Amino acid sequence: MNTLPVFLQQSLAPVNAVASSLWLIVALPLLGTLVCGVFGKVLGRANVHWVALGAVGGSFLLSALTFSAIANPDALLPTVFSNPGQGIRYAVGQDLGTWFAVGDFIVRFGLRVDHLSGVLLLVITGVGFLIHLYSTEYMSHDDGYWRYFAYLNLFVAMMLTLVMADNLVLLFVGWEGVGLCSYLLIGFWYKDPQKAWAGRKAFITNRIGDFAFVVGMLLLTLMVGAASEQLKTSARPQLAERYATGVSQVGALHFTSLEQTARTLANGARNSQENVLQPQSLIRKGPLRAFRFSEVLTAVLVLFLIGAAGKSAQIPLYVWLPDAMAGPTPVSALIHAATMVTAGVYLFCRLSYLLVFSPTAMAAVAVVGACTALFAALIAFAQDDIKKVLAYSTVSQLGMMFMAVGMGVFWAAVLHLVTHAFFKALLFLGAGSVMHGNDDETDIKKLGGLRRQMPWTWATFAVGTAAITGIVPLSGFFSKDAILHGVHETTLAGLPWVPHLVYVLGLLTALCTAFYMTRLYLLTFEGERSTDAKVPHAHENRWPMTLPLVVLAFFSVVALVHGIPFLRPRGTEGLQALMENYLYPVFDTARLVTTSVESVKAPVTEHVPWDAYLQAWGIALVGGATAAFMYLRFFPSRRGQTAPALARAARHFAQAKFYVDELYDALLLRPIRALAVILYRVVDALLIDTVAVRGSAWVTARAGALLRYTQTGDVQSYAAAMVLALLGGAAYVLVQVLR
Amino acid sequence: MGFFETHLVSLTIFVPLLFGGMVAVLPGSETGQIRAVTWAGMLVTFGLTLALYLGFSPQGPEFQYTFRAPWLTDLGIAYHVGVDGIAVSLMLLAGVLGPLVVMASSGTVQKRVKEFHLALLVLQTAMLGALAALDVIVFYVFFEAMLIPMYLLIGVWGSEERQMAAVKFFLYTLAGSLLMLVAILAVYFIALPSGARSFGYASLYNALAPASRELASCLGDANACATLSPLALTLKTWGPWLFGAFALAFAIKVPMFPVHTWLPDAHVQAPMAGSIILAGVMLKMGTFGFWRYAIPFFPTAAAQARPLLATLSVVGIVYGALMCLAQRDIKKLIAYSSVSHLGFCMLGMLSLTTEGASGAAYQMLNHGVSTGALFLLFGLLYERRHTRLMSDYGGIAKVMPWFSTAFLIVTFSSVAVPGTNGFIGEFLVLLGTFKSDWPLWYGLFAATGIILSAAYMLWMVEKVFFGPLNQPENQALKDLSGREKFAVVPFLVLILWMGLLPQPFLDRLAPSAEKFVARGRVDRISAADTLVVLPAEAAGHLIAHKGPRGDNSIALSADPSRLASLLVGHVPTGMLPPRVSPAGRLGPDHRSTYPHAGPKP
Repeated sequence: MNTLPVFLQQSLAPVNAVASSLWLIVALPLLGTLVCGVFGKVLGRANVHWVALGAVGGSFLLSALTFSAIANPDALLPTVFSNPGQGIRYAVGQDLGTWFAVGDFIVRFGLRVDHLSGVLLLVITGVGFLIHLYSTEYMSHDDGYWRYFAYLNLFVAMMLTLVMADNLVLLFVGWEGVGLCSYLLIGFWYKDPQKAWAGRKAFITNRIGDFAFVVGMLLLTLMVGAASEQLKTSARPQLAERYATGVSQVGALHFTSLEQTARTLANGARNSQENVLQPQSLIRKGPLRAFRFSEVLTAVLVLFLIGAAGKSAQIPLYVWLPDAMAGPTPVSALIHAATMVTAGVYLFCRLSYLLVFSPTAMAAVAVVGACTALFAALIAFAQDDIKKVLAYSTVSQLGMMFMAVGMGVFWAAVLHLVTHAFFKALLFLGAGSVMHGNDDETDIKKLGGLRRQMPWTWATFAVGTAAITGIVPLSGFFSKDAILHGVHETTLAGLPWVPHLVYVLGLLTALCTAFYMTRLYLLTFEGERSTDAKVPHAHENRWPMTLPLVVLAFFSVVALVHGIPFLRPRGTEGLQALMENYLYPVFDTARLVTTSVESVKAPVTEHVPWDAYLQAWGIALVGGATAAFMYLRFFPSRRGQTAPALARAARHFAQAKFYVDELYDALLLRPIRALAVILYRVVDALLIDTVAVRGSAWVTARAGALLRYTQTGDVQSYAAAMVLALLGGAAYVLVQVLR
Repeated sequence: MGFFETHLVSLTIFVPLLFGGMVAVLPGSETGQIRAVTWAGMLVTFGLTLALYLGFSPQGPEFQYTFRAPWLTDLGIAYHVGVDGIAVSLMLLAGVLGPLVVMASSGTVQKRVKEFHLALLVLQTAMLGALAALDVIVFYVFFEAMLIPMYLLIGVWGSEERQMAAVKFFLYTLAGSLLMLVAILAVYFIALPSGARSFGYASLYNALAPASRELASCLGDANACATLSPLALTLKTWGPWLFGAFALAFAIKVPMFPVHTWLPDAHVQAPMAGSIILAGVMLKMGTFGFWRYAIPFFPTAAAQARPLLATLSVVGIVYGALMCLAQRDIKKLIAYSSVSHLGFCMLGMLSLTTEGASGAAYQMLNHGVSTGALFLLFGLLYERRHTRLMSDYGGIAKVMPWFSTAFLIVTFSSVAVPGTNGFIGEFLVLLGTFKSDWPLWYGLFAATGIILSAAYMLWMVEKVFFGPLNQPENQALKDLSGREKFAVVPFLVLILWMGLLPQPFLDRLAPSAEKFVARGRVDRISAADTLVVLPAEAAGHLIAHKGPRGDNSIALSADPSRLASLLVGHVPTGMLPPRVSPAGRLGPDHRSTYPHAGPKP
């Protein structure tokens, strides 16, 4: 960190004061939720949005203070593990006591902000504040104004919990919490059954991921327990003691525990001695016995990948995100573009030291990301709904981030996360502005020519388009190139084909992105106004809507400084970009692991990669130019000229989203529902209730009815029966005796 | 020890009955007074359960606030009550639900008001008594006594097909509990020699435990079978049958798959109050029965049946959830969700890990709160609209915002969103399941409940609350009244409280869970302790020393001879500590100071 300018390393507030007020960052929006939700109706519109804005704004200021505090190398987490490694420096933490503890298992309310969460804190509260501001205008005519801001504040609180949690369980609170808010906000206009359905779809798809997440957490708990157990019999008793104490105090799912586990395993991998805990060691006891640590880790990571695929809309769980566009547009900007959907990327960056243990899991993450990126980009080609295009674009860009994470280029993923948060929020807000000015028209075929009518929206949208396309001096170019370049240069142990495949898919995605974004931009803003437009003349919106656009456009440009490799820090090889340098301490353990396990080899940047820049730029230009050529020059769809049959079929296929929803419906949803109905009719109603329960009642009743015939009340027949029985008995005895 | 402390448990049990007597003498036409008296009675009971709960010391002896009075001494039956961690928690649950139920049903019940409230009060006494009983016969009496008022609640104040449902409920449950009665008598005769026979819980357990231990080592290693004691031999032959009888009775009560079919009918037909109590407390009698009686009495038989029971629990979780997806009737859906949730309780308990058992116990409380709240809320809706079909609703969030918000919060608790109580229970249960000696797929299948619960609950919420408000009857629906809010808000507070600050609750459950696990585990059974029920006066002189796991040594805080004199008459002579170490602690061999054989004459 020596190259960071000295002024950046000075905290604006005492580190301890910052650490002890970390909880306020989460508590403020939570309080906002409470006030808006319970007293919103009484407070009235004007006060509600002041409360909501104040809460998020306050959070932002505190986040900024925290951000400045963690630049200070003196900022050190109080920690129970001695010698925790350097990764723990440049961070502040606060422990708020035990949440729950049973047996060996303990979860604490602990917050932690290091450079990774610090970056995200600023994005969440900063972009969040802008979107709150935007919403005051966008939602101004809505009946549920107070409800909207209550949900939005709750979302911010949950997202902050997610990034500030210092253990996986608390992270999961935020993880499910944001899903919950997403559900509430997608279905915000619940009177429309389509929207309510979209909300449910989002929640349940997310739940499939959460299921995997929970199972992953539990396996990880078992694994840490096994490591603790097995360390005791290994060569280093002090280490075992320290490890066991640490785990019992902070819990197995605390990030420090996990990081320490990773370090222990990594150190073991370098040690060829017998009796040292290594990734290849067999687990000897417990439910995971006979598995190796590395195998368990791979399983855990694949489970987390499913979890992350749910939250970050990756194949096969991406289907909810396009439907989530049913929510208000600012929600799409905040939740479904800038923050929540990046949670999966955050998760893997947070657990980077575990991910790099397993080349298999890394390849899985990268390939899933790459396939999603291209697949979603292809669907985006043929969508006519302005928000749907952006939604698929988000899925695609998230796929790019997964590519980077999977190949171990974590800093590039985070950089793209940040720049994407700026330009995608900008694009969504721009789309919202378009809709607001055009009576909620979302079909780009029915827009067009907005350039003059909505100048602010046009200008900022153009910046956003250029940024996502990867036009040179904008941030998107540098972040995307950092990913592609990083992916290309990385080698993955045992799987040499993966980086190549991912790189090619990444390039294709970049090409497609340029194409569909240019198409979107051209159809919306250039050309003539469509004759099908709902309103003859669109109007530009008021400042609460345009100001956030301008600010975000500004940052979409300025964020480029994080992506240019111009730093040459001491103690490391090669050049580093600002973001890479800044996140260096976060991925300290991951680096230790990669050198020990030799799973992945990261590239070293010796010089600014001009050739790669040129290549990426060329691709963006080609994609954009193709779209411009097709749509500006010919506008085939507008002139009534029919395209070739093959093109139309392909277009139709892409427009129908490759029938994935229908496939899921036919393969999963219908069978499950049919199974439920069949089980209910056959097993519950027929077998158990009718045959077994009523059957036994029937048998009893029949038996009683039959036996009734013996109760004749006739003394003579009773006497006859007695005599017969006696005779029979006597005969039996006689036979027995005589034998 | 004042009168209050000594008799706190008895007071808690019988105060509802006392108020029942007051209700009985009121004229039936004075409905207002009847409601007020019942409510006051429930409120006093709640206060008492709260006093009991707060007074219960998690670090103290296992059973606290014990009270014993001779009853049918010749038969070895005594009125013996006392609470451990799980009993006191479930009693608090019953106590909390009582006043809320009375408040909520004041709008619904209009006929035979007096008898209705009488039934509620009697039911409360029976439930509290069954939880606090430390004598098996006392338990059985209270356990069966619950049936009658519940039968009446369903059969008299229920919906259209109430008779059928009530009879089904009654016969189903009775069939199980009669078998249990036979088993209780058999245990009574085999456990202790003639002359020393007792129905005391501790005596029976202490007699059975050493035999179970022998049997366990025999099952693990055939060489040990040669020297089995007579009781162990009996257990070897008859233990599975006896366990089966207990298990069937409790499994019906839980209800476990496949003996669950009485539940949907009972819930659908029962009035709101009946549903709340049934789901809230009565179902827990099944899980509580496994916890307190079936598994500790017959750990070896339980170990043999464990794979089957666990499989049935997992099947119950998934099957119950699938059933929910096939429903059109909201109340039936909630009832089937109970099958699913109780599957979690059973699974956690059967995992025989501290995490799983604590989670199961916590899940019992959660289910009481969440499902109780669901039935309450739906009851309020039914009162307005008189239909249980989902298709008759739709879009009512518009006209009933308060109601919808409350329902949504309860829904999230029911689907175990973190931050609500459900998450803690479900997570711990799953953790225990994964940690247990079962193959991983038990946990994996159980965890699918995470997805399915969201699928059916949110589907129902969507059908009822969202969408267009196009039915004219629904457009006139009124939101919650002040009284109703008063009944609903405590549930919401509990849901968030138990989700965010669960530790005080878990602290009381965990020691019980540890004891239960120690008693249930065959592989560790030699570490199981003798069950000591100390008289309340003696408990004041003892502070259990919470040492490392498995160490239940007791530290003495007062004069040992005084303690010994207090113990005389309560603990069989042979079980008295003969020698107390100078440090004031029972020696490390304290286990041997409590011989497991029966008392010597």
